[in-house]
Amino acid sequence: MAAVDIEGLRKSYGKAEIIHGVDLAIAEGEFISLIGASGCGKSTLLRMIAGLEPITGGRISLDGRVINDVAPKDRDIAMVFQNYALYPHLTVFENMGFSLKLRNVPKPEIEKAVGQAAALLGLEPYLQRYPKELSGGQRQRVAMGRAIVRKPQVFLFDEPLSNLDAKLRVQMRSEIRALQRRLGTTSIYVTHDQMEAMTMSDRIVVLNAGRIEQVGAPLEVYDRPANIFVATFIGSPAMNLLEGRVERSDGKSIVWLGEIAVSLELPDEVRDGAAVVLGIRPEHFELDPGQPSTSALPVVVQMTEPTGAELQVYGEFAGDRIVATFRNRPALGEGETVPMRMPQSALHVFDRDSGRRLN
Amino acid sequence: MSARTINSRFLLAGKVVGVLALLFWSVGPIYWALATSLTRPADLVSKAPRFWPEHVTFEHYARLFGAESVSQGNTVQSVWPQFSAALLNSILTSLAATVLTVAIAAFGAYAFVRLRFPGRNLVFVLVVATMAIPAYTVMIPLYRLMIMMGLIDTYVGITLIYVSAFLPLALWLMRTVYQAMPLSLEEAAWLDGAGRIYTLLRIVMPLAAPGLIAAAILTFLNAWGQFIVPLVFSPTLATKPLTVLIPEFVTRNYVDYGLMNAAGILAIVPPIILVIFLNRYLVSGLMAGAQK
Repeated sequence: MAAVDIEGLRKSYGKAEIIHGVDLAIAEGEFISLIGASGCGKSTLLRMIAGLEPITGGRISLDGRVINDVAPKDRDIAMVFQNYALYPHLTVFENMGFSLKLRNVPKPEIEKAVGQAAALLGLEPYLQRYPKELSGGQRQRVAMGRAIVRKPQVFLFDEPLSNLDAKLRVQMRSEIRALQRRLGTTSIYVTHDQMEAMTMSDRIVVLNAGRIEQVGAPLEVYDRPANIFVATFIGSPAMNLLEGRVERSDGKSIVWLGEIAVSLELPDEVRDGAAVVLGIRPEHFELDPGQPSTSALPVVVQMTEPTGAELQVYGEFAGDRIVATFRNRPALGEGETVPMRMPQSALHVFDRDSGRRLN
Repeated sequence: MSARTINSRFLLAGKVVGVLALLFWSVGPIYWALATSLTRPADLVSKAPRFWPEHVTFEHYARLFGAESVSQGNTVQSVWPQFSAALLNSILTSLAATVLTVAIAAFGAYAFVRLRFPGRNLVFVLVVATMAIPAYTVMIPLYRLMIMMGLIDTYVGITLIYVSAFLPLALWLMRTVYQAMPLSLEEAAWLDGAGRIYTLLRIVMPLAAPGLIAAAILTFLNAWGQFIVPLVFSPTLATKPLTVLIPEFVTRNYVDYGLMNAAGILAIVPPIILVIFLNRYLVSGLMAGAQK
């Protein structure tokens, strides 16, 4: 296993730059997820680490050794592809042992290594089969087996679970995580599925249009999103955003959302009259059983959806769409105006223009 | 009987007639050649045509394979020395052209698909565009060139001409085959530690086998049937193939229909054997299981 350092990494196709100077330090043995919408450059970044895409600018190093110009075959990096990319004319055994055979590893050792990996992945009964004779989940495991058998410095995963059904995906998610913990190999995992990123990673990297928006532990990113993009990208349903204006007097700060005043502690840099966006996650709304207070949001309920574990409430406040989730299944009628309290600790404040987090 | 059933019967009858017409068109001449090759020389010229010879004879085949014979009172020499030499020439030049063409196409087409170099598409278009040039346009310059290089009536010369003539089609075909293959398989091999050539030989080519076989069959059949090129470049039995030898059975005084047709029937055999042999590898679904 190795540490991966990425400095000022850029990638252009012709004049179009799609990765704009990415810096990222990945510690030895860390499991890191790159997450972002389609086209944000996450797969390109992964392929640049693998050596499958030429680097336009910047540096990638493995344990301090710059690998910009090292051929993929000499990087000692293994990759699990989205479409598995199994060699269809080779058996499972041959697929898994391919890299060892190339390194002229003696046959008994190949058999031992493949056997161990197969045991780890539950593939022992299928070693003599061809990929076409396997199910999707088994193929996925073979692709994993091919990667682990050679004990590489780094694992790269390019949306490896996106072709599996929901149940298998959840199962494989924990299997991959357990396997990675056991092997301790530095892993970089590309996904657009935030559940995968949140549940598997030591840290997640949120990418947007070729730039890193935030790097942090999953809960840190969830609890303290660095900007509006991350706030709305991570979390489902997405965080509610409400535009407001800051009023400062006597050292206190209030954010006015139309007629509603929300008291908040804000850093001194936020000046009187500043335009801000307040964010609150759907599960942080509280129903106000008492008198409507000035700081509760009067939400007009438009629709409710019971999901079993919780009730999702879709409503509207001053033209903004509001989504709230409650675990105690309150009885709310459509068209009813419900005061929803917003605990101060659950509020996120962003600069309206830059989108940057302020509190 | 409803209108619908009548309609479908007409449709069926139409199909049957169509298939029979096609069959007659393609198999008919072969049958006629076979029948002629088994007919006595006298019957060939003296009687009204028959669909099957009255007296089946193998004398034409016997002459091809080395027997002297008597025809219309004259002793006719065996043509085995010429026939065997031409058969060998046909096989050698066609096989050499096939092996070379397929080998070059296998590597060249890969370069056109996977390698990036300036003018890649232009070069490819130019190579393929040469297919539009008729052979007779370049025949005289080519003849001069071959004389200069001393390649007239040599296997090397003939093979080179065949390769240059059939390579564009093979390149085109293989390019399409490679384009349809997912790049991720090659990338997986590179990350596994394989170089480009190893990946091409061990991963790409086995999966491109149906394309390679198709290119081989096309090239072999094209080369086997060549007439104009060997007519000019193979003046003697050193390299003369069957296509040029067989029409020489027409002499000033006598057209040896039986011999020509017997030789023609035998000339079908090698390509049939090759196609049957290669057809076993022309299986589909090789790519199954590579991806999700």
